[in-house]
Amino acid sequence: MRRRLSAAYDWFDERTAIRSLLRKGLYEAVPVRGAWFYTLGSATLVLIILQLITGIFLTLLFVPSVTEAWQSLNYLKEHDAFGAIVRGIHLWSAYILLFVIGLHMVRTFFSGSYKRPRELNWVTGVGLFVLVLGMAITGAFLPWDQAAYWTAVVVTNIAAYTPFIGSFLRALWRGADTMGPITLSRTFGIHVWLLPAILFPLIGAHLALLRKHGEFGSYINYRGAYKSREGVDVPPAPAQRPIEPPYPAAPSEELWAAPLQTEDFYPHQTFKDGIVSAALVVVVFILAVAIGAPLEAIADPATTNYTPVPEWFFLPLDELLVLVPQQLIPLVLVLPTGGVLLLLALPFIDRGPERNPFERPAVMVPGAFAVLFVVILTLLGSGRLFNL
Amino acid sequence: MSALLALIAPAFHALQTQVPAQAPQGRNIVGAQIAIGSLFSLHILIAGLVSGAAELGPAIEFLGYVRQRRNYDRLAHGLGRFITYYFSVSSTIAILLITVLLVGFWGHFWTTIVTIGWWPLFIEAWTFVLQVSLAYLWYYTWEPMRAFKGVHMAIGGLLAVASFLQVYMIDVIASYMLTPSNPQNPVRLALNPTSYPLTVHRTVGNLAYIAFAFGGFCAIRYLRAKTAEDRRFYDWAGSFGLLWGVSMTLLQPVVGYSYAKEVQLHSYGSWYKMMFGSLSPVFLWQITLLGIMFLTATLYFARRLRTDEAPGSGILKLLAVGMVLTTLLAAQPYALGFSYETVAAAGLNRPFWEGGLINPLGSMIPWKVLALMFYTLIAIAAVVWYLRGLPGVVWGTARRGEQRILMLMTVFTMLMMVTMGFIRENSRGPFLISGEMTIQGQQNVPTPTPQSSP
Repeated sequence: MRRRLSAAYDWFDERTAIRSLLRKGLYEAVPVRGAWFYTLGSATLVLIILQLITGIFLTLLFVPSVTEAWQSLNYLKEHDAFGAIVRGIHLWSAYILLFVIGLHMVRTFFSGSYKRPRELNWVTGVGLFVLVLGMAITGAFLPWDQAAYWTAVVVTNIAAYTPFIGSFLRALWRGADTMGPITLSRTFGIHVWLLPAILFPLIGAHLALLRKHGEFGSYINYRGAYKSREGVDVPPAPAQRPIEPPYPAAPSEELWAAPLQTEDFYPHQTFKDGIVSAALVVVVFILAVAIGAPLEAIADPATTNYTPVPEWFFLPLDELLVLVPQQLIPLVLVLPTGGVLLLLALPFIDRGPERNPFERPAVMVPGAFAVLFVVILTLLGSGRLFNL
Repeated sequence: MSALLALIAPAFHALQTQVPAQAPQGRNIVGAQIAIGSLFSLHILIAGLVSGAAELGPAIEFLGYVRQRRNYDRLAHGLGRFITYYFSVSSTIAILLITVLLVGFWGHFWTTIVTIGWWPLFIEAWTFVLQVSLAYLWYYTWEPMRAFKGVHMAIGGLLAVASFLQVYMIDVIASYMLTPSNPQNPVRLALNPTSYPLTVHRTVGNLAYIAFAFGGFCAIRYLRAKTAEDRRFYDWAGSFGLLWGVSMTLLQPVVGYSYAKEVQLHSYGSWYKMMFGSLSPVFLWQITLLGIMFLTATLYFARRLRTDEAPGSGILKLLAVGMVLTTLLAAQPYALGFSYETVAAAGLNRPFWEGGLINPLGSMIPWKVLALMFYTLIAIAAVVWYLRGLPGVVWGTARRGEQRILMLMTVFTMLMMVTMGFIRENSRGPFLISGEMTIQGQQNVPTPTPQSSP
């Protein structure tokens, strides 16, 4: 039996080069210290795959029409316990995905991993973050219950604040000046076709770039970390640079070129990645079973006593919209747009070789403020909603 | 002896006839407000520093450990010493306030608030015990536990958590008094509409306050320093304090505005009093003072870089000009009288060019909101430019002017603390608990019950 399996594997390898592919994929040298922090990327990927699988399942049942969208989900809720759990997994994995991808970005930002030669890793990562956010927002429209309907009203209205073309954008998304059947069809199309069609190639590009340049890790893995310490000598350069052949290009970059100590991706890092990803999947499953995915009453555009509550990831912006007077709303909406543009430009603005976050205050301080503002606005927004 | 008795006896006799045998219990409202208000202000001025030091000190120790810098360790140790010296002063005032003044003047109120906020006050009392135990442990084990820095930093971390919890619990009570929620539900009580914003506002404020305060203290020590090492340390610590203080204050416009928004939604009378009523001149002073603080800090940054000819001084001067213009915008009064309330009562609530007393440029929306946004953005730019220039600074070379600015910032911060406390505590008037208990006679206001439909 074992010989037969081995022969089958040889046959397959001869035609696909699977053995060398696996070797290349699994035996990558990764930095040793702080490795648990480097599991966020793989956890993000696992959660996206979970989204894909549960999403495919849901498209088999969901009817994207204003008369039947809610009915189809209500059927799941009332009569199909397994389907309801799958929908719960889809929702909770989306929530946790947003949180994990945010953490992954923050870690990458603070560790300076976006610097040369990994600028495009960062750019593709920012693109993935925006797309995941887009998936979450469009996904929130689909149940066509009260929460979904009023979220759609608010979000499509936000698009209308875009200078010059705002009204056109809103009409394009809604399919008319007001919300209607085309709004749901278009949003469904964007959610299941347009965004994934960009998302998955971008994931491929992100992973290919990661493999090309290797995991950077954190400044603590490099000789540069010892440069600013009082009474500590800079350790000698490692004998080889297994990760970054085209790098360093300048003498100042040598301190950050190769990690002092590495280990194989398999089994060391894959073990940690597996533990974190499995734990997250378990958490998602527990939440899906225990809480599930809520479904409010069917959308009623004529209602006058419904108070829309935004999704949690929308809270910072929602709080800003509440705080800022109507005349200044376009100014507030510049913030997220400008923020994304700044993030995309970051590796081209912060080009110095230094990776130690404490030695990069000019970038770290505004970054820390941005994170603090988001956290504080989320807290304030949740407090406000609690007392509605 | 008999002569002395003859002298004292009439005085005792006079006292016996004039001093009431029992506590005033709200009968002397002005006396109670002056006594409690002034002592509370003093308590908050010291307690804010202690809480800030207990939260900032461990963070600085951690930074020093990560960066392997002795300066940070020395500064954190100094903050630890400050806590051990001043904790008891702050506590004594608090106990005097509660046991003598609150019980004596507003006994009914105090009983009511303790009944309502029993759980927060219970937790508050225990975090108090935890805080003092950890503070002394943290400070006195500094050298003995140098070989176990991780454990020592963990003690500091617990101290920071205990201090935060203590502030949060007392904020639950303070915020409840302004925006009461269902007292039967402890979660509703703990998360009443203004408890979140007040806690964030006060925590960030305490961190800024202690930083500005030790900045000023270091400025004095710098001017008196005898050794080059001390000059280097106090110069660096003063700059670090100001930088940290400004960085924390940057968050306050958003947090403070959010706080005011919640007051508007849940305690409209208080909000109206702050924005349009008798407290509006104090509010105007507050927003102006904020601009003055940012401006002063920007001037320090510019001067400090210029002293060592480090890059960035020119840009910082430009930012200071921007801050002056923003402060002028923020300082514009809306009503060219005592308050909008008085102007409206006189029928003069129309623009000044139409013969009224209204200055549209002083309106909150959009002008003061814009000014708050510009404060934040310009201050962030100032911090970033200063940080960019810092590698060119040689510590120990600062001039007297910079040290005077640091001391001035401490005074401004104390003024800000007192101003904010004054606004918050007076906005509730004529209530002790908004809409529920009056100051006059501590009368409970009956809650209107909805009419049942036939």
